[in-house]
Amino acid sequence: MTSAEPFFDFTSVWSSMPMLLKGFGIAMACATVAIILAIILGLIVALMRLSRIKFLRWFAFIYTQFFRGIPLYVLIIWVYFGLAIAAGVNLPAIPAGILTLALLNSGYLSETFRSGILAINKGQVEAGTALGLSRRNVMRHIILPQAFRVIIPPLGNQYVDAIKDTAILSIIGVPELMRESKALANLYYRPFEFYTFAGLLYLFAVLVVSRGISVVEKKLSAHSAQTPATIALSK
Amino acid sequence: MSNLSGVSSIGEPEFLKLVDVSKTFGSHRVLDKINLTVSEGEVLVIIGPSGSGKSTLLRCINFIAAPDEGEVIFEGHVWKSRISKYNFLANRRYEQKLTALRSEIGMVFQNFNVFPHMTAAQNVMLGLTKVRKQNKDLARKAAVEALTQVGLADKVDQYPDKLSGGQKQRVAIARALALKPKVMLFDEATSSLDPELVNGILEEIRRLAKAGMTMVVVTHEMNFAFQVAHRIVFMDEGRIVEIGTPEEIRKTTEPRTRSFLSAILN
Repeated sequence: MTSAEPFFDFTSVWSSMPMLLKGFGIAMACATVAIILAIILGLIVALMRLSRIKFLRWFAFIYTQFFRGIPLYVLIIWVYFGLAIAAGVNLPAIPAGILTLALLNSGYLSETFRSGILAINKGQVEAGTALGLSRRNVMRHIILPQAFRVIIPPLGNQYVDAIKDTAILSIIGVPELMRESKALANLYYRPFEFYTFAGLLYLFAVLVVSRGISVVEKKLSAHSAQTPATIALSK
Repeated sequence: MSNLSGVSSIGEPEFLKLVDVSKTFGSHRVLDKINLTVSEGEVLVIIGPSGSGKSTLLRCINFIAAPDEGEVIFEGHVWKSRISKYNFLANRRYEQKLTALRSEIGMVFQNFNVFPHMTAAQNVMLGLTKVRKQNKDLARKAAVEALTQVGLADKVDQYPDKLSGGQKQRVAIARALALKPKVMLFDEATSSLDPELVNGILEEIRRLAKAGMTMVVVTHEMNFAFQVAHRIVFMDEGRIVEIGTPEEIRKTTEPRTRSFLSAILN
Protein backbone atom coordinates (compact mmCIF):
# COMPACT_ATOMS: atom_id res chain seq x y z
CA MET A 1 0.00 0.00 0.00
CA THR A 2 1.36 3.39 -0.96
CA SER A 3 1.24 6.27 1.46
CA ALA A 4 -1.11 9.15 0.61
CA GLU A 5 0.48 11.64 -1.78
CA PRO A 6 0.82 15.24 -0.59
CA PHE A 7 -2.05 17.43 -1.64
CA PHE A 8 0.18 20.02 -3.29
CA ASP A 9 3.52 19.00 -4.68
CA PHE A 10 5.53 21.42 -6.78
CA THR A 11 8.66 19.25 -7.07
CA SER A 12 7.72 18.12 -10.56
CA VAL A 13 7.19 21.77 -11.52
CA TRP A 14 10.68 22.72 -10.31
CA SER A 15 12.26 19.82 -12.14
CA SER A 16 10.43 20.75 -15.35
CA MET A 17 11.52 24.36 -15.14
CA PRO A 18 13.67 24.47 -18.31
CA MET A 19 10.77 23.22 -20.42
CA LEU A 20 8.30 25.61 -18.83
CA LEU A 21 10.59 28.60 -19.24
CA LYS A 22 11.20 27.67 -22.85
CA GLY A 23 7.43 27.55 -23.37
CA PHE A 24 7.12 30.90 -21.64
CA GLY A 25 9.83 32.33 -23.89
CA ILE A 26 8.02 31.11 -26.99
CA ALA A 27 4.76 32.60 -25.74
CA MET A 28 6.41 35.98 -25.11
CA ALA A 29 8.18 35.91 -28.48
CA CYS A 30 4.92 35.09 -30.30
CA ALA A 31 3.04 37.88 -28.49
CA THR A 32 5.81 40.41 -29.11
CA VAL A 33 6.27 39.70 -32.81
CA ALA A 34 2.49 39.59 -33.25
CA ILE A 35 1.94 42.94 -31.56
CA ILE A 36 4.67 44.59 -33.66
CA LEU A 37 3.04 43.26 -36.82
CA ALA A 38 -0.36 44.30 -35.48
CA ILE A 39 0.89 47.87 -34.91
CA ILE A 40 2.07 48.10 -38.51
CA LEU A 41 -1.10 46.52 -39.92
CA GLY A 42 -3.34 48.46 -37.56
CA LEU A 43 -1.74 51.77 -38.53
CA ILE A 44 -2.15 51.03 -42.24
CA VAL A 45 -5.79 50.05 -41.74
CA ALA A 46 -6.45 53.13 -39.60
CA LEU A 47 -5.01 55.39 -42.31
CA MET A 48 -7.17 53.60 -44.87
CA ARG A 49 -10.17 54.12 -42.64
CA LEU A 50 -9.45 57.86 -42.62
CA SER A 51 -8.64 58.01 -46.33
CA ARG A 52 -10.60 60.15 -48.75
CA ILE A 53 -10.92 57.16 -51.05
CA LYS A 54 -14.24 55.48 -50.41
CA PHE A 55 -13.08 52.00 -51.34
CA LEU A 56 -10.22 52.11 -48.83
CA ARG A 57 -12.50 53.33 -46.07
CA TRP A 58 -14.95 50.58 -46.87
CA PHE A 59 -12.26 47.90 -46.97
CA ALA A 60 -10.78 49.07 -43.68
CA PHE A 61 -14.19 49.05 -42.03
CA ILE A 62 -14.87 45.44 -43.09
CA TYR A 63 -11.35 44.42 -42.04
CA THR A 64 -11.77 45.91 -38.59
CA GLN A 65 -15.21 44.47 -37.98
CA PHE A 66 -14.14 41.07 -39.26
CA PHE A 67 -11.05 40.59 -37.14
CA ARG A 68 -12.67 42.05 -34.06
CA GLY A 69 -15.74 39.91 -34.49
CA ILE A 70 -14.20 36.49 -35.06
CA PRO A 71 -13.31 34.48 -31.94
CA LEU A 72 -9.59 33.78 -31.68
CA TYR A 73 -10.34 30.06 -31.53
CA VAL A 74 -12.05 30.10 -34.91
CA LEU A 75 -9.53 32.47 -36.46
CA ILE A 76 -6.59 30.29 -35.53
CA ILE A 77 -8.21 27.22 -37.06
CA TRP A 78 -8.94 29.14 -40.24
CA VAL A 79 -5.37 30.37 -40.52
CA TYR A 80 -3.74 27.04 -39.68
CA PHE A 81 -6.07 24.53 -41.36
CA GLY A 82 -8.22 26.74 -43.55
CA LEU A 83 -5.34 28.33 -45.43
CA ALA A 84 -3.86 24.89 -46.06
CA ILE A 85 -7.13 23.48 -47.40
CA ALA A 86 -8.31 26.52 -49.34
CA ALA A 87 -5.06 27.95 -50.66
CA GLY A 88 -2.56 25.14 -50.15
CA VAL A 89 -0.54 27.40 -47.84
CA ASN A 90 0.95 25.16 -45.16
CA LEU A 91 2.15 27.51 -42.48
CA PRO A 92 4.13 25.96 -39.63
CA ALA A 93 2.41 26.29 -36.26
CA ILE A 94 4.43 29.20 -34.85
CA PRO A 95 4.11 31.52 -37.89
CA ALA A 96 0.42 30.60 -38.15
CA GLY A 97 -0.03 31.46 -34.48
CA ILE A 98 1.80 34.77 -34.83
CA LEU A 99 -0.17 35.68 -37.95
CA THR A 100 -3.45 34.91 -36.20
CA LEU A 101 -2.60 37.05 -33.20
CA ALA A 102 -1.33 39.83 -35.47
CA LEU A 103 -4.55 39.88 -37.51
CA LEU A 104 -6.79 39.81 -34.48
CA ASN A 105 -4.88 42.56 -32.69
CA SER A 106 -4.56 44.70 -35.81
CA GLY A 107 -8.34 44.86 -35.92
CA TYR A 108 -8.45 46.31 -32.44
CA LEU A 109 -5.37 48.49 -32.86
CA SER A 110 -6.67 50.07 -36.07
CA GLU A 111 -9.59 51.42 -34.05
CA THR A 112 -7.20 52.55 -31.33
CA PHE A 113 -5.03 54.36 -33.88
CA ARG A 114 -8.07 55.89 -35.53
CA SER A 115 -9.40 57.32 -32.30
CA GLY A 116 -5.89 58.48 -31.37
CA ILE A 117 -5.54 60.32 -34.66
CA LEU A 118 -9.01 61.84 -34.37
CA ALA A 119 -8.25 62.98 -30.83
CA ILE A 120 -5.61 65.38 -32.10
CA ASN A 121 -6.99 68.87 -32.45
CA LYS A 122 -7.92 70.02 -35.94
CA GLY A 123 -5.91 73.18 -35.39
CA GLN A 124 -2.73 71.09 -35.50
CA VAL A 125 -3.59 69.95 -39.01
CA GLU A 126 -4.45 73.51 -40.01
CA ALA A 127 -1.18 74.85 -38.66
CA GLY A 128 0.87 72.22 -40.48
CA THR A 129 -1.08 72.65 -43.69
CA ALA A 130 -0.76 76.43 -43.50
CA LEU A 131 3.03 76.05 -43.33
CA GLY A 132 2.88 74.34 -46.71
CA LEU A 133 3.43 70.79 -45.49
CA SER A 134 1.95 68.02 -47.61
CA ARG A 135 -0.81 65.84 -46.15
CA ARG A 136 1.72 63.06 -45.73
CA ASN A 137 4.13 65.26 -43.80
CA VAL A 138 1.36 66.64 -41.61
CA MET A 139 0.38 63.08 -40.73
CA ARG A 140 3.94 61.90 -40.21
CA HIS A 141 5.46 64.80 -38.30
CA ILE A 142 2.49 66.37 -36.53
CA ILE A 143 -0.43 63.96 -36.11
CA LEU A 144 1.14 60.54 -35.63
CA PRO A 145 3.78 61.53 -33.04
CA GLN A 146 1.01 63.07 -30.94
CA ALA A 147 -1.49 60.28 -31.59
CA PHE A 148 1.13 57.75 -30.55
CA ARG A 149 1.41 59.39 -27.14
CA VAL A 150 -2.36 59.23 -26.74
CA ILE A 151 -2.57 55.53 -27.55
CA ILE A 152 0.31 54.22 -25.42
CA PRO A 153 -2.01 52.99 -22.62
CA PRO A 154 -4.46 51.11 -24.89
CA LEU A 155 -1.50 49.81 -26.84
CA GLY A 156 -0.10 48.39 -23.61
CA ASN A 157 -3.42 46.73 -22.81
CA GLN A 158 -3.43 45.15 -26.24
CA TYR A 159 0.04 43.72 -25.65
CA VAL A 160 -1.08 42.30 -22.31
CA ASP A 161 -4.07 40.68 -24.00
CA ALA A 162 -1.83 39.25 -26.70
CA ILE A 163 0.44 37.65 -24.08
CA LYS A 164 -2.51 35.91 -22.46
CA ASP A 165 -4.01 34.99 -25.81
CA THR A 166 -0.90 32.99 -26.73
CA ALA A 167 -2.32 30.26 -24.48
CA ILE A 168 -4.78 29.39 -27.21
CA LEU A 169 -1.97 28.75 -29.70
CA SER A 170 -1.64 25.39 -27.96
CA ILE A 171 -4.55 24.05 -30.02
CA ILE A 172 -2.45 24.12 -33.20
CA GLY A 173 0.56 22.66 -31.43
CA VAL A 174 2.72 25.70 -30.75
CA PRO A 175 5.01 24.54 -27.91
CA GLU A 176 4.19 27.56 -25.76
CA LEU A 177 3.68 27.70 -22.03
CA MET A 178 0.12 26.37 -21.97
CA ARG A 179 0.81 23.40 -24.17
CA GLU A 180 3.94 22.47 -22.24
CA SER A 181 2.08 22.84 -18.96
CA LYS A 182 -0.68 20.58 -20.17
CA ALA A 183 1.75 17.92 -21.35
CA LEU A 184 3.67 18.03 -18.08
CA ALA A 185 0.48 18.09 -16.02
CA ASN A 186 -0.66 14.90 -17.73
CA LEU A 187 2.74 13.31 -17.34
CA TYR A 188 3.02 13.94 -13.59
CA TYR A 189 -0.72 13.95 -12.78
CA ARG A 190 -0.24 17.38 -11.29
CA PRO A 191 -2.58 19.64 -13.28
CA PHE A 192 -3.26 22.09 -10.46
CA GLU A 193 0.40 22.77 -9.77
CA PHE A 194 1.42 23.15 -13.40
CA TYR A 195 -1.50 25.36 -14.41
CA THR A 196 -1.07 27.50 -11.32
CA PHE A 197 2.58 27.98 -12.09
CA ALA A 198 1.76 28.83 -15.72
CA GLY A 199 -0.77 31.35 -14.48
CA LEU A 200 1.84 32.95 -12.26
CA LEU A 201 4.26 33.24 -15.18
CA TYR A 202 1.59 35.00 -17.28
CA LEU A 203 0.83 37.28 -14.36
CA PHE A 204 4.52 38.07 -13.94
CA ALA A 205 4.84 38.96 -17.63
CA VAL A 206 1.76 41.15 -17.54
CA LEU A 207 2.98 43.03 -14.47
CA VAL A 208 6.40 43.65 -16.01
CA VAL A 209 4.85 44.87 -19.27
CA SER A 210 2.36 47.13 -17.50
CA ARG A 211 5.18 48.66 -15.49
CA GLY A 212 7.20 49.24 -18.65
CA ILE A 213 4.24 50.86 -20.38
CA SER A 214 3.60 53.28 -17.55
CA VAL A 215 7.28 54.31 -17.57
CA VAL A 216 7.11 55.01 -21.30
CA GLU A 217 3.80 56.80 -20.84
CA LYS A 218 5.21 59.07 -18.16
CA LYS A 219 8.23 59.89 -20.29
CA LEU A 220 6.21 60.76 -23.37
CA SER A 221 3.34 62.56 -21.69
CA ALA A 222 5.76 65.23 -20.47
CA HIS A 223 4.86 67.15 -23.65
CA SER A 224 1.45 65.74 -24.23
CA ALA A 225 -0.66 65.98 -27.32
CA GLN A 226 -2.90 68.94 -27.98
CA THR A 227 -6.36 67.47 -27.76
CA PRO A 228 -9.52 69.53 -27.31
CA ALA A 229 -9.49 68.63 -23.63
CA THR A 230 -5.96 69.90 -23.03
CA ILE A 231 -6.71 73.11 -24.91
CA ALA A 232 -9.70 73.76 -22.71
CA LEU A 233 -7.52 73.21 -19.65
CA SER A 234 -4.76 75.50 -20.86
CA LYS A 235 -7.09 78.43 -21.36
CA MET B 1 -4.01 106.99 -47.69
CA SER B 2 -4.67 107.21 -43.99
CA ASN B 3 -1.40 106.69 -42.29
CA LEU B 4 -1.96 107.09 -38.60
CA SER B 5 0.79 104.74 -37.45
CA GLY B 6 3.23 105.53 -40.20
CA VAL B 7 2.70 102.19 -41.94
CA SER B 8 4.67 101.65 -45.07
CA SER B 9 3.52 102.59 -48.52
CA ILE B 10 1.56 100.39 -50.88
CA GLY B 11 3.07 98.53 -53.83
CA GLU B 12 1.52 96.28 -56.47
CA PRO B 13 -2.24 97.01 -56.30
CA GLU B 14 -3.58 93.53 -57.16
CA PHE B 15 -1.10 91.48 -55.17
CA LEU B 16 -3.73 89.18 -53.70
CA LYS B 17 -7.20 88.95 -55.07
CA LEU B 18 -10.27 86.92 -54.17
CA VAL B 19 -12.82 86.43 -56.94
CA ASP B 20 -16.36 85.26 -56.15
CA VAL B 21 -15.22 83.09 -53.27
CA SER B 22 -18.13 81.16 -51.74
CA LYS B 23 -18.35 78.47 -49.13
CA THR B 24 -21.25 76.55 -47.66
CA PHE B 25 -21.30 74.35 -44.56
CA GLY B 26 -24.38 72.17 -44.89
CA SER B 27 -27.17 74.59 -45.64
CA HIS B 28 -25.36 77.56 -44.11
CA ARG B 29 -23.73 79.86 -46.64
CA VAL B 30 -20.68 81.03 -44.73
CA LEU B 31 -19.18 83.02 -47.57
CA ASP B 32 -21.30 84.46 -50.34
CA LYS B 33 -19.37 85.60 -53.42
CA ILE B 34 -16.59 87.46 -51.72
CA ASN B 35 -14.53 89.79 -53.91
CA LEU B 36 -11.54 91.43 -52.34
CA THR B 37 -8.24 92.89 -53.46
CA VAL B 38 -5.19 93.33 -51.28
CA SER B 39 -2.27 95.47 -52.42
CA GLU B 40 1.34 94.64 -51.74
CA GLY B 41 2.34 96.00 -48.35
CA GLU B 42 -1.25 96.67 -47.37
CA VAL B 43 -2.65 95.90 -43.94
CA LEU B 44 -6.25 94.84 -44.39
CA VAL B 45 -8.23 94.35 -41.21
CA ILE B 46 -11.45 92.35 -41.23
CA ILE B 47 -14.01 93.06 -38.54
CA GLY B 48 -17.54 91.84 -37.98
CA PRO B 49 -19.75 89.91 -35.59
CA SER B 50 -18.84 86.31 -34.77
CA GLY B 51 -20.21 83.91 -37.33
CA SER B 52 -19.92 86.52 -40.07
CA GLY B 53 -17.39 84.39 -41.98
CA LYS B 54 -14.19 86.30 -41.14
CA SER B 55 -12.17 83.25 -40.12
CA THR B 56 -13.47 81.15 -42.98
CA LEU B 57 -12.55 83.90 -45.41
CA LEU B 58 -9.01 83.91 -44.04
CA ARG B 59 -8.85 80.11 -44.37
CA CYS B 60 -9.99 80.27 -47.97
CA ILE B 61 -7.06 82.52 -48.88
CA ASN B 62 -4.57 79.69 -48.27
CA PHE B 63 -7.08 76.91 -48.95
CA ILE B 64 -6.89 75.29 -45.53
CA ALA B 65 -10.64 75.58 -45.96
CA ALA B 66 -11.46 74.88 -49.58
CA PRO B 67 -13.86 77.39 -51.12
CA ASP B 68 -16.72 75.72 -52.98
CA GLU B 69 -16.53 78.29 -55.72
CA GLY B 70 -14.29 81.11 -56.78
CA GLU B 71 -10.59 81.61 -57.03
CA VAL B 72 -7.65 83.24 -55.35
CA ILE B 73 -5.21 85.14 -57.49
CA PHE B 74 -1.80 85.65 -55.95
CA GLU B 75 0.99 87.45 -57.79
CA GLY B 76 -0.97 86.91 -61.00
CA HIS B 77 -1.27 83.16 -60.50
CA VAL B 78 -4.79 81.69 -60.30
CA TRP B 79 -5.55 79.13 -57.56
CA LYS B 80 -8.70 77.08 -57.03
CA SER B 81 -9.86 74.32 -54.72
CA ARG B 82 -9.83 71.77 -57.51
CA ILE B 83 -9.16 71.73 -61.19
CA SER B 84 -11.47 68.92 -62.24
CA LYS B 85 -15.00 68.02 -61.31
CA TYR B 86 -14.48 64.29 -61.77
CA ASN B 87 -10.78 63.49 -62.03
CA PHE B 88 -9.86 62.63 -58.47
CA LEU B 89 -6.18 61.98 -59.24
CA ALA B 90 -5.77 65.28 -61.06
CA ASN B 91 -7.19 67.05 -58.03
CA ARG B 92 -4.81 65.16 -55.75
CA ARG B 93 -1.84 66.26 -57.83
CA TYR B 94 -3.17 69.81 -57.91
CA GLU B 95 -3.56 69.79 -54.16
CA GLN B 96 0.16 69.09 -53.84
CA LYS B 97 0.75 72.29 -55.80
CA LEU B 98 -1.36 74.26 -53.36
CA THR B 99 1.38 73.67 -50.80
CA ALA B 100 3.50 76.10 -52.84
CA LEU B 101 0.90 78.83 -52.36
CA ARG B 102 0.57 78.04 -48.67
CA SER B 103 4.28 78.27 -48.07
CA GLU B 104 4.17 81.87 -49.36
CA ILE B 105 1.39 82.76 -46.91
CA GLY B 106 2.04 82.68 -43.18
CA MET B 107 -0.82 82.15 -40.77
CA VAL B 108 -1.26 82.76 -37.06
CA PHE B 109 -4.21 81.23 -35.22
CA GLN B 110 -6.37 82.11 -32.26
CA ASN B 111 -5.38 78.93 -30.41
CA PHE B 112 -1.68 79.25 -31.33
CA ASN B 113 -1.60 75.67 -32.63
CA VAL B 114 2.04 75.24 -31.73
CA PHE B 115 3.15 71.62 -31.99
CA PRO B 116 3.28 70.42 -28.37
CA HIS B 117 5.67 67.54 -29.02
CA MET B 118 8.34 69.84 -30.42
CA THR B 119 10.52 72.49 -28.81
CA ALA B 120 10.12 76.09 -29.87
CA ALA B 121 13.06 75.71 -32.25
CA GLN B 122 11.71 72.46 -33.68
CA ASN B 123 8.34 74.14 -34.25
CA VAL B 124 10.05 76.76 -36.37
CA MET B 125 12.41 74.30 -38.07
CA LEU B 126 9.68 71.96 -39.36
CA GLY B 127 8.62 74.22 -42.21
CA LEU B 128 12.21 75.09 -43.03
CA THR B 129 13.35 71.48 -43.34
CA LYS B 130 10.22 69.94 -44.87
CA VAL B 131 8.93 72.77 -47.03
CA ARG B 132 12.03 74.83 -47.79
CA LYS B 133 14.21 71.67 -47.75
CA GLN B 134 16.92 73.34 -45.71
CA ASN B 135 19.39 71.18 -43.86
CA LYS B 136 19.04 70.94 -40.10
CA ASP B 137 21.97 73.19 -39.15
CA LEU B 138 20.83 75.99 -41.41
CA ALA B 139 17.22 75.60 -40.28
CA ARG B 140 18.26 75.67 -36.65
CA LYS B 141 20.19 78.90 -37.20
CA ALA B 142 17.20 80.48 -38.95
CA ALA B 143 14.87 79.23 -36.19
CA VAL B 144 16.99 80.75 -33.44
CA GLU B 145 17.09 83.99 -35.38
CA ALA B 146 13.31 84.04 -35.89
CA LEU B 147 12.68 83.26 -32.23
CA THR B 148 15.13 85.96 -31.17
CA GLN B 149 13.23 88.49 -33.27
CA VAL B 150 10.02 87.79 -31.37
CA GLY B 151 11.84 88.01 -28.06
CA LEU B 152 12.22 84.32 -27.27
CA ALA B 153 15.99 83.94 -27.51
CA ASP B 154 16.03 82.25 -24.09
CA LYS B 155 13.15 79.86 -24.86
CA VAL B 156 14.57 78.22 -27.97
CA ASP B 157 14.76 74.72 -26.52
CA GLN B 158 11.64 74.88 -24.35
CA TYR B 159 8.61 72.75 -25.03
CA PRO B 160 5.32 74.66 -25.41
CA ASP B 161 3.92 73.32 -22.12
CA LYS B 162 6.55 75.44 -20.36
CA LEU B 163 5.54 78.60 -22.22
CA SER B 164 2.84 81.18 -21.51
CA GLY B 165 0.07 81.86 -24.01
CA GLY B 166 1.85 84.96 -25.26
CA GLN B 167 5.09 83.04 -25.70
CA LYS B 168 3.29 80.25 -27.56
CA GLN B 169 1.80 82.81 -29.90
CA ARG B 170 5.28 84.26 -30.45
CA VAL B 171 6.54 80.81 -31.37
CA ALA B 172 3.65 80.56 -33.84
CA ILE B 173 4.55 83.95 -35.31
CA ALA B 174 8.23 83.00 -35.58
CA ARG B 175 7.25 79.69 -37.18
CA ALA B 176 5.28 81.52 -39.86
CA LEU B 177 7.85 84.29 -40.42
CA ALA B 178 10.80 81.92 -40.70
CA LEU B 179 9.51 80.81 -44.09
CA LYS B 180 9.75 84.43 -45.25
CA PRO B 181 6.12 84.59 -46.41
CA LYS B 182 4.89 87.33 -48.70
CA VAL B 183 1.55 87.59 -46.91
CA MET B 184 0.61 87.06 -43.28
CA LEU B 185 -2.84 86.06 -42.09
CA PHE B 186 -3.80 86.68 -38.45
CA ASP B 187 -6.92 84.94 -37.20
CA GLU B 188 -7.91 86.59 -33.92
CA ALA B 189 -4.34 86.17 -32.77
CA THR B 190 -4.98 87.75 -29.37
CA SER B 191 -8.43 86.39 -28.52
CA SER B 192 -7.13 83.48 -26.42
CA LEU B 193 -4.60 85.56 -24.53
CA ASP B 194 -4.78 86.88 -21.02
CA PRO B 195 -5.41 90.65 -21.21
CA GLU B 196 -1.91 91.61 -20.06
CA LEU B 197 -0.36 89.61 -22.91
CA VAL B 198 -2.48 91.07 -25.70
CA ASN B 199 -0.42 94.21 -26.27
CA GLY B 200 2.81 92.31 -26.74
CA ILE B 201 1.36 90.32 -29.62
CA LEU B 202 -0.32 93.40 -31.13
CA GLU B 203 3.10 95.05 -30.98
CA GLU B 204 4.56 92.20 -33.04
CA ILE B 205 1.87 92.67 -35.67
CA ARG B 206 2.50 96.41 -35.67
CA ARG B 207 6.22 95.79 -36.14
CA LEU B 208 5.45 93.65 -39.19
CA ALA B 209 3.12 96.32 -40.57
CA LYS B 210 5.90 98.88 -40.31
CA ALA B 211 8.26 96.52 -42.07
CA GLY B 212 5.86 96.53 -45.02
CA MET B 213 4.43 93.04 -44.69
CA THR B 214 1.20 92.43 -46.58
CA MET B 215 -1.31 91.31 -43.99
CA VAL B 216 -4.91 90.28 -43.61
CA VAL B 217 -5.87 90.57 -39.96
CA VAL B 218 -9.06 89.36 -38.32
CA THR B 219 -9.40 90.97 -34.92
CA HIS B 220 -11.80 92.17 -32.25
CA GLU B 221 -9.31 94.77 -31.02
CA MET B 222 -10.95 97.82 -32.54
CA ASN B 223 -8.44 100.45 -31.43
CA PHE B 224 -5.67 98.36 -32.87
CA ALA B 225 -7.66 97.82 -36.06
CA PHE B 226 -8.17 101.52 -36.61
CA GLN B 227 -4.52 102.30 -35.90
CA VAL B 228 -2.84 99.68 -38.01
CA ALA B 229 -5.15 99.20 -40.98
CA HIS B 230 -4.84 100.77 -44.38
CA ARG B 231 -8.36 99.58 -45.05
CA ILE B 232 -11.01 97.97 -42.91
CA VAL B 233 -13.46 95.38 -44.18
CA PHE B 234 -16.74 94.98 -42.34
CA MET B 235 -18.34 91.58 -42.83
CA ASP B 236 -21.75 90.30 -41.84
CA GLU B 237 -23.55 87.07 -42.70
CA GLY B 238 -20.95 85.90 -45.17
CA ARG B 239 -20.83 89.09 -47.17
CA ILE B 240 -18.63 92.15 -47.29
CA VAL B 241 -20.86 94.97 -46.17
CA GLU B 242 -18.36 97.75 -46.52
CA ILE B 243 -14.69 98.43 -47.21
CA GLY B 244 -12.98 101.68 -46.41
CA THR B 245 -10.11 103.48 -44.79
CA PRO B 246 -10.31 103.71 -40.99
CA GLU B 247 -11.52 107.30 -41.43
CA GLU B 248 -14.29 106.25 -43.79
CA ILE B 249 -15.39 103.38 -41.59
CA ARG B 250 -15.40 105.59 -38.53
CA LYS B 251 -17.69 108.07 -40.24
CA THR B 252 -19.79 105.50 -42.08
CA THR B 253 -23.52 105.88 -42.49
CA GLU B 254 -24.02 102.21 -43.29
CA PRO B 255 -26.46 101.09 -40.58
CA ARG B 256 -25.06 97.59 -39.89
CA THR B 257 -21.48 98.82 -39.63
CA ARG B 258 -22.60 101.61 -37.35
CA SER B 259 -24.54 99.38 -35.03
CA PHE B 260 -21.65 96.90 -34.85
CA LEU B 261 -19.12 99.62 -34.09
CA SER B 262 -21.27 101.37 -31.52
CA ALA B 263 -21.95 98.05 -29.79
CA ILE B 264 -18.29 97.09 -29.67
CA LEU B 265 -16.79 100.52 -28.91
CA ASN B 266 -18.96 101.05 -25.84
